[in-house]
Amino acid sequence: MSDAHVEPQRPASGATLLVLVGLGIAFALLVALLAAAKTHSGPIYGEANMLYAALVLYTGAATLYMGYGVTGIERYVSAASLLTALGFIANTAAVAHRWSVAGRPPFSNMYEMLLSFVWTLALLTLIAERAYKVKIIGSITMPITVVSVILMQLLPSDVRPLVPALQSTWLQVHVTLAMLSYAACAVSFALALMFLIQDNMKTESFQALTSAGMVAIYAAMLLTRFRSGALGVTAYDLEAKTEVMVSRGHPLFIQIPDLGWLYLLVLLSALAPLALYIVGQLKKDASWFDVASKGMFVTLMLQAAGLAIFVARVKHGQYGAPEADGLYSTALPANPFLLAGMVGSIVAGLLYLLLLWRREGLQRMMPSANDLDRVTYKIICIAFPLLTLMIAAGAYWANQAWGSYWSWDPKETWAAITWLVYAGYLHMRITRGWKGRRAAWFAILGFAVVIFTFFGVTYLLPGLHAYAAG
Amino acid sequence: MGLKSIWTKLYQTLASVRTGIFLIIIVGVFSAIGTVILQRPTSEPEDVQRAYSPETLMWLDRLGLTDIFHAWWFLLLLSLFCVCLIFVSVDHWPNSWKVYSKPIRFAEPHFRASLPRTVKIAVTDEAGALTVAERVLSRFGFKPERVTENGATGIYAEKQRYSVFAVYLVHLSLLCIFAGYIVDGIVGYRGNIMVPEGQALGQITLRDDRGGQSKKTLPFLIRCDGAGEETYADGSPKKWWSKLALIEGGKQVAAKTIVVNDPFVYHGIRIYQASMGQSSTPRTLTFAATPTSGGEAAPVEVPLNGKAVLADGESLSVLRWVPDYYVQDNEVYKKSDEPENPAVQLGLTNAKGETRKLWILYSQLNSTKGQDAPYEFALKSATWEKYTGLEVSHQPGQYGVWIGVVLMACGLVIAFYTQHVRIWAAIADDGKGGKLLWVGGTTNKNRDRFQVKFEQIKTALQEELGGATSKAGQKNHEEKTLTQA
Repeated sequence: MSDAHVEPQRPASGATLLVLVGLGIAFALLVALLAAAKTHSGPIYGEANMLYAALVLYTGAATLYMGYGVTGIERYVSAASLLTALGFIANTAAVAHRWSVAGRPPFSNMYEMLLSFVWTLALLTLIAERAYKVKIIGSITMPITVVSVILMQLLPSDVRPLVPALQSTWLQVHVTLAMLSYAACAVSFALALMFLIQDNMKTESFQALTSAGMVAIYAAMLLTRFRSGALGVTAYDLEAKTEVMVSRGHPLFIQIPDLGWLYLLVLLSALAPLALYIVGQLKKDASWFDVASKGMFVTLMLQAAGLAIFVARVKHGQYGAPEADGLYSTALPANPFLLAGMVGSIVAGLLYLLLLWRREGLQRMMPSANDLDRVTYKIICIAFPLLTLMIAAGAYWANQAWGSYWSWDPKETWAAITWLVYAGYLHMRITRGWKGRRAAWFAILGFAVVIFTFFGVTYLLPGLHAYAAG
Repeated sequence: MGLKSIWTKLYQTLASVRTGIFLIIIVGVFSAIGTVILQRPTSEPEDVQRAYSPETLMWLDRLGLTDIFHAWWFLLLLSLFCVCLIFVSVDHWPNSWKVYSKPIRFAEPHFRASLPRTVKIAVTDEAGALTVAERVLSRFGFKPERVTENGATGIYAEKQRYSVFAVYLVHLSLLCIFAGYIVDGIVGYRGNIMVPEGQALGQITLRDDRGGQSKKTLPFLIRCDGAGEETYADGSPKKWWSKLALIEGGKQVAAKTIVVNDPFVYHGIRIYQASMGQSSTPRTLTFAATPTSGGEAAPVEVPLNGKAVLADGESLSVLRWVPDYYVQDNEVYKKSDEPENPAVQLGLTNAKGETRKLWILYSQLNSTKGQDAPYEFALKSATWEKYTGLEVSHQPGQYGVWIGVVLMACGLVIAFYTQHVRIWAAIADDGKGGKLLWVGGTTNKNRDRFQVKFEQIKTALQEELGGATSKAGQKNHEEKTLTQA
C-alpha cells in the first residue's frame, strides 16, 4: 500500500478539485431536494428522524467512498465503513419503528419497498466489503442508497392500512424475496461494471455506455410524457395528498408548457456524445472521443439545469390538461419516475467523470479482474434462486387471492424475462464456460431488465398507452 | 431424403442446446412485445380501441398480437421448447448415467494426462504413500477407496456424485410447470358468480379471454348465508367475508366462511372472495306516511315483495320499482340500474279490498301529494339486497406447477451449491527408476473453488510425505511438480 501513502502528498490536483466538486454537487442536491421534502416531527427515535439520520450518514459514507475512489486514501474506507454501519443501524431503527407502528413488515408501497431496499443494499455493501474485501463497491452502491432515501422523502410515507388482497403472508414473503434478489442483482451489476474497468475496457466505451443509458432514460421520459412541447406530469391534490384520477387506474396528466422542448434538448445533448463516439469508431480517429468527452460535460450541465427547472416548476405553479377543465397542482412525490430518471442519469454521468479522471487510481484499488468475475458469478448464484422463489411465492399469493397463479400481466411477464436472462447467464457460464467480458455484459443486461421490471413496468408501460390515447 | 433421415435431422435439430436457447429467446421477445401492445384479456375494450387506429388494430388482431399469450403460435413455441428440453435431456442422459453408475475408478496413464489438476511427489515407500494419501483425503472429507486394476493399486475418492443429475431435475421441473399450465388451459376454467344473501346459485359466467359471456353449471349450488365488509377508520376496506354453504343433491355438503386470501376448496374447485356489493333492487323501502286529514308523519317499512299494515288497517305494498326512471308518453320507463332517481308505484288497499295506485316520481316530487288518498307517502330510505361476488376456478394443473417449483428449487440448489469432485491417486514411475505418488482431480463445475481445495490437498500431502524424503529432494521435486502442474 505504498501508493496510498504517496497520494496525499501530491499537490492539489484534479483529484482534490473533483472531491470538492463532488461534495458540492452532493450538498446542492441534498439541500435542493430536502427543501422540497416535508418537514419532520415525532419522537427522536421515530422513523422520520432515524431515516434522516441514515440519510446524513449514508451521504457521508457515499462521499467518503467516492473520495477513496478518487484519492485512494485507505483511511477513507474505514471511516466510510463506520458511517455505513451507523447509517445501517439508524435505517434498521426506522424499519423497526415503522414495522411496529404498522403491525406488519414494511413492503406495501413504493416508500416502504425503498426503505427495505436501502436497508438490504447497505447490508450487502457491508458484507461485500468485510467478506469479499471489495472495498470500492460502496462508491457505487452508497450513492444509490442516498438517491433512494432522497426519493423516499418525496413519497407519501403515512402508514396506510392494507386492503384485503394485500393481507397475506405469501405477499410479504414474495416482496422480501424480491428486495433481496433485486439488491443482489444491483451488487452484481456494480461488480460487472468494475470488472469491465479492470478488464481494461476503453474509457470511451464507458462514455458511450453512459451516454446510451442517458439517452434511454430521456427517450423513455419523452416517449411517455412529451406532448406538443409540453411535459406531462401527474396532477396531485396537495390537500388530500393523492393523485388526481380521471378514472380508475388512469391518473390525470397536466402539461407543463415548454418543458418538453427543454428535455428534447437534453436528449439531443445526451445523444451527441454517443453519435461522436460512433463516428470516431467508424473513422478510427480517437480525436472524436475527446470531443465526445466534452459533450458529456455539456449534457451533464444541461441535465442539472433541467432538474432544477423541473423542481422549481413543479413546486410553483398550476397547469391545465386538455381533457379536464381548470388548473391543477402537481408535486414531486407524484412523479417518482421522472425524478428517479433525472437523478439517476446525473449520478451515472458523475460516475463516468470519476472514471475519466481517476481511472488509474481506481484500478489500483479494485480487486483483480479475475476476482471480480468470480464474485459476480457467486452473487448471481445467490440472486437467481431468490428470484425463482420470489416468482413462485408471487404465483402462490396470486393463486390465493385471485384464483390464478399466472395471468401474464406485464409485471409477471417481465419478472419471467428477468429470470430467463439470469438463467441464460448461469447456463452459459456452467455449460459453455462463458467468463469475463461476455459474462459481465450479460450481468449488466440482467440488471437493466431488473430496473425495467421495477420502474419501467409501473411507470413506462401504462404511460405509453395513456398518451397513445391522447 | 428418406423419412428416417428427416426424423434424424429433426431430432438432431431439436436435441441441440442451441435450438433450445434460440426458442426461449423468441418466447422472451414475444412476451416482452405482449407487455407493450395492449392485450385484450387484460385491458378494457375501449382502451384498445382508443390506443390504435382501426387498420392497425385489424392487423394486430389478425396476427394474434393483441392476445399473444393465448395465440396458437405462442403455445406452439412453448411446446417446441418443451420438446427441445426432452430431446436434449434424452441426448445427454447416457453420458451422465455412465459417469454416475460406472465411474472411472482407476486412473490409467493416458487418463492421468487428461486431468486439469495433478500433483506428483517422489516417494520411497509405495504402500505407505497411498496410506498417507488416504489419510489426507479423509481429512478433507472424502471417503477414499483402494482400487486394484491389472495388478496396480490406486485410490479413488469422490464427493456429491448426484450433482450430475441437477440439470435433469431443473429440466424436469420446467416440464412439470409447462405441463401443469397446459392441463389448466385444456380442462381448467375460471369464472365468477354473484350470490345474493340467502340465495343458492350454481351457474358461473366464464372468464372468456375473448370477452364472451358463456356460462357453466357447477356440480353444486353455492348458498350465501351472510356477507359483510369491515372498514378501517378512514373508510378503506379492511375485510370482506362471506359465509358460504355448498348444496349437492339438495343436501348441504360443506360450509366455510371465506375471506380474501383464504379460499374455499371443495373437490378441486376453489371459491374466492372477489368483491362485495349491493344490488339495485331494495329489500325494503321506508316511507313517511302523513295522514291527509292532518297529524304526525309515521315511518312505514315495506318489504319489496310483501306488505305493511298501516295504523287504520289499510295495507301498503310496492307494485313497481324503477331504480332510475324517465317518463315518455305518460309512461314510466327504466333508464339505468343505478338507484339514483327511482320511481315507485305503491298500492294502498283498504279493508274492502279496493286498491288505490299511487306514484312517487322521485326527482319531480318525493310525495304522493294530491293523488287522492288518506295518506301522503314520501320515500325516506331503503335497505338493499347484499350480494357477494365470488370467483370460481378449477385448475387441477396447478399441482403440477407447485411440484415443478419445488423440484426446481431442489435442482437449483444442487446445480449451484454442489459439485461432483473426483480425485485419483496412484503410484507411478518417475522415468529415472524412482517412484512417484501421483494425485489428480477434476470437477464438473465451479473450477475456481476446486483449484483452491486441490492446492490445500497438495500442500497437505507434501507436508505429510516430506518426512519420507530428504529435505533437499523434497524441495527439488516440489519445484518440478509446480512446473508440471
